[in-house]
Amino acid sequence: MNFMKKHCVAMLLAGGQGSRLMVLTENTAKPAVPFGGKYRIIDFPLSNCVNSGIDTVGILTQYQPLELNEYIGNGQPWRLNRSHGGVQVLPPYAKSKKSEWYKGTANAIYQNIPFIERYDPDNVLILSGDHIYKMDYAAMLRDHIAKDADCTIAVRTVPIEEASRFGIMNTDDDGNIYEFEEKPKKPKSTNASMGIYIFKWSVLKQFLIEDEEDPKSNNDFGQNIIPALLNTGHRLCAYEFKGYWKDVGTINSLWEANMDLLGKNPGFNIYGEKGRRIYARNYAMPSTFIAKESKNVNCFIAEGCEIFGSIEHSIISTGCTVEAGAIIEDSVIMPNVTIEAGAIVRHAIVGEDCRICRRAVIGGSFLEGEQKQISVIGKAKVIESNETIKPGEIR
Amino acid sequence: MTTMGIVFANIYDSSLGELTNKRTMASLPYGGRYRQIDFSLSNMTNSGIRHIGIITKHNYQSLMNHIGSGQEWDLDLEEGGLEYLTPFAMGHTGSYRGKLEALNSAMSFLAQSNEEYVILVDSGVLCTMDFQKIIQAHIASGADITVVVKDGISNGKKQLDLAVKMDKENAVTDVAVDYSAGETYLASMGIYVMSRSLLMQEVVEAVAHNRYHFERDLVLHGFAEKGMKVAAFPFDGVALFNESLTEFYHNSLALIDPEVRHGLFGQKQTIYTKVRDEVPVYYGECSRIDDCIVADGCTLEGAAEHSILFRGVKLGENAKVRNCIIMQDSVVGEGADLECVILDKNVIVRPGAILRGTKDHPLVFKRGEIV
Repeated sequence: MNFMKKHCVAMLLAGGQGSRLMVLTENTAKPAVPFGGKYRIIDFPLSNCVNSGIDTVGILTQYQPLELNEYIGNGQPWRLNRSHGGVQVLPPYAKSKKSEWYKGTANAIYQNIPFIERYDPDNVLILSGDHIYKMDYAAMLRDHIAKDADCTIAVRTVPIEEASRFGIMNTDDDGNIYEFEEKPKKPKSTNASMGIYIFKWSVLKQFLIEDEEDPKSNNDFGQNIIPALLNTGHRLCAYEFKGYWKDVGTINSLWEANMDLLGKNPGFNIYGEKGRRIYARNYAMPSTFIAKESKNVNCFIAEGCEIFGSIEHSIISTGCTVEAGAIIEDSVIMPNVTIEAGAIVRHAIVGEDCRICRRAVIGGSFLEGEQKQISVIGKAKVIESNETIKPGEIR
Repeated sequence: MTTMGIVFANIYDSSLGELTNKRTMASLPYGGRYRQIDFSLSNMTNSGIRHIGIITKHNYQSLMNHIGSGQEWDLDLEEGGLEYLTPFAMGHTGSYRGKLEALNSAMSFLAQSNEEYVILVDSGVLCTMDFQKIIQAHIASGADITVVVKDGISNGKKQLDLAVKMDKENAVTDVAVDYSAGETYLASMGIYVMSRSLLMQEVVEAVAHNRYHFERDLVLHGFAEKGMKVAAFPFDGVALFNESLTEFYHNSLALIDPEVRHGLFGQKQTIYTKVRDEVPVYYGECSRIDDCIVADGCTLEGAAEHSILFRGVKLGENAKVRNCIIMQDSVVGEGADLECVILDKNVIVRPGAILRGTKDHPLVFKRGEIV
């Protein structure tokens, strides 16, 4: 087939298990975890791609891909149903000689070299599917080209006391990376990698092939590819990102990122003008009904809900029912949940399709400054009447 | 049995004043996120009817913008799917006086189809209905034409396009058109089933004799003069006749009543509409929302009671709206106070403005107005 050249192709790593999200990723890939009332985590990198003018995206799936595949579909919600390019889900597949799972992030891209080659791109953008942020990849790409970098890595400044939790990029004054340290005990700088890379495709391809030939390699971008590039004197540049960014890999960070949507001046402003919006697959649901006896303060409520109870500082997702006398505070309620009369939910994440029966009590309250213990209810669970789920309990 | 659909997009445009000034009846916004035609189209696709012509007369830009290729209704099909039958589209006719003339100019669409039956639907009555039941009843009865009717609508005051009287065996004993029928009559919901061949034959014959009014010149004339068998199918679900501004206003607010809401939306069939990428509704620290229907994308800082808030509405701090319909992207400024008001799309109400209509005469502000 004769394909037209693409300037930049994005590859989105969506195969991770997300085991730290526990019950929430029992049957779901992390990128498919619901977020913010009507979104899923993968909507953020996908929307960023579209809003940055990147119309060719390969999504690498492996762990529990069914729900994610169905959600992506033909990519129409993100306007990625293109005749040329668009979105492609790339699971591991049996090749003529051997078949294998994706061994690591670099191996996942290696196995899809033929896909990338079809578009003959100059650059490849590597993304992961577990971050909440809005970013203009086009600006990063312009920087990458202007500096004639072989690889540009997006970084953000983290507090020095937290720097030892991240991959730290040590740079000179011009932003050239001279050293990369994974979770350093004594960090020399505060430039944390965001796991977003732009590579010259010719360079990356060569290193992927070499990495694959090394039996000792973990086939990982951070552990193998980036150090290999540094060791061979390639030009690596840091691109500083200043906006909101959150890795939602843990229960607490997922809860916090949801709460960051709330408030008059929210921590994360999800709103956007045309061309800067976050897109999601929208299901045909009627508008939400808010009853007289309900009271809703500082919260998000999505469509298709029937609300009779009281909601404060919470996210209520599409298709939920909150019966009279139910109280929801500081919680994330995922799609299609029913919270029956008199139930109380505080500091909790309730998974999709759950039923919280009458007068059940989930979670608790915490003092200012106290470490919040978030209770979690997995997908499609039923919490019986009068049952209690303790603060921090995972069900 | 194979059935195709025809949707008439402009029927009562003139009676809704400002609201249908720049749009068809079919594209009138309803229920926070819908257009009236969403119900007709969803009923068709949910009933397995996948070949549909939309007959428009004028002002159809917003309608085409809303429906597009019909993708939301799974009507972007290789075979069948959606066709827009606009005036002048067929070459030999211009705009038309009535549904029969409109059908006549869509004759090649009808002739080139191969479905056995046609279901014809106006866009003024909202309901969630299984059309297959009507088609099966039509076939079983051996009728020439079946009209779907609703009880409890005729009251001696409301003028009905078509009213029928039925005996105890549900046989039609009288047909009347443009008549303020009394309670003994049932009101036509503007939904008709005929065989495609008979419809084509009747349309050609009527137009050849300068007759253009579907209800009068086909149904009544056929019943009274030609001995056609007219059957009526009584519908027992929720049916909202949005044929005047007051009806539209009351039927919109009626959604707050759970019986009406669940009658329209609580059925197995989904009502599809064009989606918009909106953020969920944000309810501010001091918001107070009581008995309202709220669509995505709203930012609510003020108070609303017994109202319909469409997508993207902004309600400023200390603003109050009661018994209002606030359409897409309209803004109610801080401290404004609205009662019985309909704001069309993109209206801006300045802070502190006080606007009062009554339940019988709601105040209407047209699209883009600044008040």
